Amino acid sequence: MSSVTWRNVFTYNKYTQIAARAVRQSLKESERVTAEKRGLTALRYQQWENGQGGQQVHLNPPQEK
Amino acid sequence: MSALRLVSSAARRAPKVFTSGRRGYAEAADKIKLSLVLPHQSIFTSTEVVQVNISAATGDMGILANHVPSIEPLRPGVVEVIEPGSASKKWFVSGGFATVHPNNSLTINAVEAAPLEDFSPEAIRANLQEALKVAAGSGSEEDKMEARIEADVYEALQHALGSK
Repeated sequence: MSSVTWRNVFTYNKYTQIAARAVRQSLKESERVTAEKRGLTALRYQQWENGQGGQQVHLNPPQEK
Repeated sequence: MSALRLVSSAARRAPKVFTSGRRGYAEAADKIKLSLVLPHQSIFTSTEVVQVNISAATGDMGILANHVPSIEPLRPGVVEVIEPGSASKKWFVSGGFATVHPNNSLTINAVEAAPLEDFSPEAIRANLQEALKVAAGSGSEEDKMEARIEADVYEALQHALGSK
């Protein structure tokens, strides 16, 4: 772990996700497609007030589809 | 006649008492229960194995049965599992934790792991060059740190695949 200084910049979660992404990108073509899907995270949230749900908002709006 | 049969059966039974104390390499008497789990897949679930070699942050270690309880963060590296009676199998894990519990069981939690055969050396080489370029470039501190972490993973992968 020559880059032990990542603790100044990242949380452990982010560090682990970066390392996992690097491993996924190094797989053979056949395995890579299923692996890349695992790296995808999407979040949708909704504000509730007086029992009424507000607009559902995507954290990162999906570009296509 | 029956006395002779009794004697011969007793003689057959006696050697078994001695063989249980002898340890051969084919079946080691002591095994540790390994659970190697990823978020999306359980590679091992409480499977009895003889030895597990991990690359911990503090150095490479081999874990045998009845290891002292400890928690070790893992470097991106190879986990080698030696099951009773079969050759060792290797996986490259992206990082995580190895926990030895007091009840002779070992849990390894990792985010990503794959057998060494599933990796492509060309992809690793290309990714490494890309990451080194970004790490030496003029981006933000975060981008460069991210690239350095990735470069470390790729270098560990190359080392694992090279010295198979």
